[in-house]
Amino acid sequence: MVRAFVTLVFVAILGLAFGRLALDYVPDAALNQTAVHYAELTPPETGAQNVVAAIIVTYRGLDTLGEVTVLFLTAAIVALVLAQTSGPTKGRGSGLLPSGELLQTGTRMLTPLILLFGIYVFVNGHLTPGGGFQGGAILASAALLLLLADPVRRFSHRLLSWVESGSGVFYVLIGVFGLFLAGGFLDNRILPLGDFGSIFSAGAIPLIYALIGLKVGAEFSSILESLEEAEDH
Amino acid sequence: MAEIAMMSGFALILLGIFGALTNRNLLRMIVAFSIASTGVNVVLVSIGYLPGRTAPILDAAVPLESAAAQIVDPVPQALVLTAIVIGLGVTALMLAYAYSLFRHRKSLDISDFTELKW
Amino acid sequence: MVSPILIIAIGLGAAFLLGFVNEDRKGIAFALTLAALAAMSLIALGWTLAFAAGNAQTADILTAGFPPPFAINLRMGPAEAALSLLVAATGFLSAIYMRDALYRHGRRAMAVLLVAIMALTGIVMTRDIFNLFVFFELIVIATGGLVLLSEDRRALAAGFKYLVVAQVISIMLLIGIAFVYHAMGSLNIDDIGPVALGFSGAGLALFLVLVALFLELKPFPANGWALDIYESAHPGFSAIFSAASGSAALFAADKVLATSPAWLPLATAIGIITFIGANILALRQNNDRRLLGYSSVAQIGLLLTIVGQRDLLGDSYLFIAGGVLVAHAIAKAGLFWMSGLVGHRDLKDWAVLRANPVLIFAFATFVAMLVGLPPFPGFYAKWDLAHILMAGDRAWLVALILIGALIEAGYLFRWFGFATKREAPEGFPGFSVNKMGIVFVTLLAGWTSGWIWGDLSANPNVLSMVPVLFALAFLVLEPLPARIKNLIAIAGLVGWFVFRYPAYDPLQLVFAIIILVGGAVIFLASFNWQGRRLGFYPPAMLMYAGLAMLIEAETSFTFFASWEILTLGSYFLILRGKMSEPHALSYIAFSLGGAFAILAGFALAANGTQPFEMAALADVAQTAAPYVFILLAVGFMTKTASIGLHIWLPGAHAEAETDVSPMVSGILLKAGLFGLWVLLMHMGQTQFYGINLTYFLVWIGAISAFLGGLMAIFQEDAKRLLAYSSISQMGYALFSLALMNHLGWLLALMFVINHYVYKSMLFLAVGGVYARTHTKLMYKMGGLITLMPFSFVSVLIGIIAMSGVPPLSGFGGRWVFYNAIMTADMRLPIILIFLSGPIGFLYLFRLIHSIFLGQLKDEHRKLKEAPFWLLVPQMIFVLFLLAFAVVPGLILRRVDAYISTFFPEGGLEWTSGGIISEFGYWNPVAIMLVIGVIFVSVFLLLLWMNHDAQKVKQFNIGFAGERPYRPETTHFAWNFFAPYRKAMGFLVLPVVTTFWNAVTDVLHETADFARKFYTGNGQTYALQALGFVVVLFLIGSGGTP
Repeated sequence: MVRAFVTLVFVAILGLAFGRLALDYVPDAALNQTAVHYAELTPPETGAQNVVAAIIVTYRGLDTLGEVTVLFLTAAIVALVLAQTSGPTKGRGSGLLPSGELLQTGTRMLTPLILLFGIYVFVNGHLTPGGGFQGGAILASAALLLLLADPVRRFSHRLLSWVESGSGVFYVLIGVFGLFLAGGFLDNRILPLGDFGSIFSAGAIPLIYALIGLKVGAEFSSILESLEEAEDH
Repeated sequence: MAEIAMMSGFALILLGIFGALTNRNLLRMIVAFSIASTGVNVVLVSIGYLPGRTAPILDAAVPLESAAAQIVDPVPQALVLTAIVIGLGVTALMLAYAYSLFRHRKSLDISDFTELKW
Repeated sequence: MVSPILIIAIGLGAAFLLGFVNEDRKGIAFALTLAALAAMSLIALGWTLAFAAGNAQTADILTAGFPPPFAINLRMGPAEAALSLLVAATGFLSAIYMRDALYRHGRRAMAVLLVAIMALTGIVMTRDIFNLFVFFELIVIATGGLVLLSEDRRALAAGFKYLVVAQVISIMLLIGIAFVYHAMGSLNIDDIGPVALGFSGAGLALFLVLVALFLELKPFPANGWALDIYESAHPGFSAIFSAASGSAALFAADKVLATSPAWLPLATAIGIITFIGANILALRQNNDRRLLGYSSVAQIGLLLTIVGQRDLLGDSYLFIAGGVLVAHAIAKAGLFWMSGLVGHRDLKDWAVLRANPVLIFAFATFVAMLVGLPPFPGFYAKWDLAHILMAGDRAWLVALILIGALIEAGYLFRWFGFATKREAPEGFPGFSVNKMGIVFVTLLAGWTSGWIWGDLSANPNVLSMVPVLFALAFLVLEPLPARIKNLIAIAGLVGWFVFRYPAYDPLQLVFAIIILVGGAVIFLASFNWQGRRLGFYPPAMLMYAGLAMLIEAETSFTFFASWEILTLGSYFLILRGKMSEPHALSYIAFSLGGAFAILAGFALAANGTQPFEMAALADVAQTAAPYVFILLAVGFMTKTASIGLHIWLPGAHAEAETDVSPMVSGILLKAGLFGLWVLLMHMGQTQFYGINLTYFLVWIGAISAFLGGLMAIFQEDAKRLLAYSSISQMGYALFSLALMNHLGWLLALMFVINHYVYKSMLFLAVGGVYARTHTKLMYKMGGLITLMPFSFVSVLIGIIAMSGVPPLSGFGGRWVFYNAIMTADMRLPIILIFLSGPIGFLYLFRLIHSIFLGQLKDEHRKLKEAPFWLLVPQMIFVLFLLAFAVVPGLILRRVDAYISTFFPEGGLEWTSGGIISEFGYWNPVAIMLVIGVIFVSVFLLLLWMNHDAQKVKQFNIGFAGERPYRPETTHFAWNFFAPYRKAMGFLVLPVVTTFWNAVTDVLHETADFARKFYTGNGQTYALQALGFVVVLFLIGSGGTP
């Protein structure tokens, strides 16, 4: 009780602080200097239609590399944590009822479509809303569907980890190429900027987004699989 | 609009923190933190919002010349993506921890894990 | 130069590459990890060296090819280079250290480690505030992973608690960043600010960012989660967590604070509270790793305090903050790595380190680094810091920092005492070579850093001073037999004296003779020890090095450095005694307290000028002078063990080894006296509210002389008796010095010489007896006169000399003494001093009476004379005393003339027939003759009367009808002065001891009570973190939301 009360008081005071922030907040009438730069110079500098994508992949590419690394780390650590956990050893997917014919067939039908959609989302990231993370999440949802539909199914660890590592290493390499071939680490102009608005444009952005998509998809799948396997032991 | 979003974002954060600090169940704590980080994301996005403007995608609807006058601030949108991904990573990690703690100790009560103290 | 961004790229690339390595090929994965960490370290090293050589400019590295604030940029400057090197090298060493754990957990764990190190360098280099956030989150997650490397199952819960708190922190950080972006229109740190101190709008946003960064630094009291991690994590990871993560997070806070100096006071306040609070809580810790955790938290607090002072520190900022940081990082990493060599978690279990002396040396090095002793970086940093803060009128902060540092020194040295003195387990299997190698590398890094900081310092490099180097050379010579080392030591002392002789003024000469020649004479006794006598010569020579440098010191820095060196050396020396663990601790506690007072005094006196000549003490401004005087006097009086600050002395001197007691009593105490001398020489007329400060010293001296003597007479332990007598004798010396007249000073000098001679002699004599009887309790001895005639002679001569009866030099001392006090006009303290005379005789009488006269004990019948080498110096002293009695002028004349330069009036007149003063004359030769004649006549008379005396058998006595329940109570020499105790016992009640015990008890009880705050519940920790934010907000916004 005391704790709840103290918590309430603390949260209330924090609320006051937040309230002050919100009350003092005046929305900008115009974009600030940074945003104006992005609005006006994104097309000539990066060739991307989607300004957010340009920011994510190029201007703030280091953040994004960090983000990808967050997922990489999480996948690795989740596997580590769960590997340390020795639950009761049963069979693969034990304790779960086998799924029905209908579900399995439906899954087989849907999976390619989901995968295709995911690829579409990350390949078009520089043109439309979307991008590597979204696409990767969609790819992983296919994996989730497979796991849910067939609890006994397991993906190849090898494959996942090769995709994970391959795309990661390639991403870093592209960054380093930028260092030597263009203006700096992760500069997207190592490839021609192409025609504004077309699919092969914006230099390395689509390539990086594709790698991110693959990597995110693989990480998520591997997290899901680790969680699933934890139930097996 | 932005004010409402911001206020509700803050409300979510406060709710989340209060929930995380008063619920002793690990899973509830994790859920509460998820709510709080959703709140943070809402606040983040609301900061970049400029009334009457459109999404920062320079397609046919937004001519290049007047882009600066038409789009909302793209930076918070980029930031929020990063924040979401990081939040997701931490949540996944906490879930794995909770699972492992439960496996070892058969308890999900945070007050049962106090053997390290003082 | 290789682009620094490659540090990040290599770390990340290698982490990703690990995925290609087959799960079973652990060797390949490990090699890849090490190679990447090595490459990262080398890049950072390259930059660091380039900056050191002046070949590099601070470089901004653009990512994506666009300038900031549109794209993220990194910066590589001297601080960044050094920190990156620190982080990467710690990571590299820890990786080797954790090899087994990494093998067990496989390539994933290695990838996590790589990412952690990469992210830490990212925090150091990035100039973008959101990028900072991303790297911080990487650290959070990586920490969550690396905690699992521990074999301790509790680490899992600790990791979860950490994640919970990290969530709270990251919410604050993100909200803060978002609103900072809104206010500034940029995420680049260089575009932020200056933001005024305020709690609305941009101010509140920056507040949230800062408070989150501070929380990353584990501020007191919102840091329970970090302590749990320190306690349960793999020591290899704890080393990273403490040395690398802490430093990087601190640098992040520093970066943001640099933009808005108005917020610096917040950092100072949080920092100093953390420093003191965490150190107090550490006092009650028995778990080594948790203790190191508290200490890490405290050190980071100190660093945050320094960051908060960066506006004042100016150009010295990097030197000072860097010095403290490097010392902390190297020492803390080293200690965490060492903790992996120790099998159990209690502090006392560190005794196992004694299996390898180098490890003990490493332990001592790390402790000295943390406390900020020379020759390590923290020493130079603390010196400069105190000076700048004092000159900037922030004396209160200096006081707080020094108090915190003293508490830290207390528990660290206590721990070191455990390691050297507590029982080590039998049949120890040996240390892991791998881990031990890492500790040795760290040790080397520690000494190297000491050299670098000394080199960078505007002051002289302690490690380039010849005496120090000579002392350190004994570390290398340790494998040689003790007797060879002894010879080298003696040659060194005498050689240095001969070499420096021409440069000494008469005062220095007297002290130099005592320290160097006198030290060499005492070393003769050390020939008694055979074998290698590990750990004796390095500290002993360090003490002598400090002493030799002290008397020649011309600037306050050299003086202080010498002071600390001799303190450190003598501490290790005292600690060698069998039962000296608690006494050595109280010695080092008082000595460091005194040293800190001296540091504060010098800093106040210098008022920012460096180097500060000792002679310039005379020109200190009127307003500051009394405080300088008090601080310095208190500091020096801890060494002379003046009453109130004396409680360390009896144990330290009495429990020391036989040849160490004379060193620390006969010689070391003179350091304090020398300090007081220098102080009075320059500042003797300082007034405080109209009262001359020397007046207090006269009183302190008189009371010390009186009470010291009184306490001595009630001792049963012969060495304790001598030790208490030292308090009394030093009191005399202080008294005479503070009289501030010619004869007083001359007298003080005679005390310096006499005390050295007879105290060394008596300690050696009693030590010789102890070597045979194995007891120091006088009531267990008796009748040894026939068995140990030489020892008897030296005790007899010593007593005659000391008690001031004719014909020996003590009488001369008395004579000068009475002359001196007759010229002074203070009557009351003089009465005390007069009383101390007979009291001195009472306790000295016991020595000869209880040990050498009376009945021989049954078990002592077959004893032999004391060992030869212990007698040699004693006989030299006997000869010297006889000579000094006849021709005191040999030394005193020169000094008398020298003192005349300070006090032209009231000197003595030296004629061939004797010495003439205002009140009379003293003819030593005549006195010697007269006494000689009387002695011989009485002796002959006694011989003649003795011929028909009847011999009584030893056991021809009857007991009373009581059964003695404590056998010693039946011995007549036990509680010898019981009647006096009845009369005056109330004067020797251990009031002072009780007082100091109460101080430590209060500290310990506070710690014990306060640490309950850390309940171990993750929610409580998170609540504390939230409370930290909320309370700061309330205080900051003045309670009016």
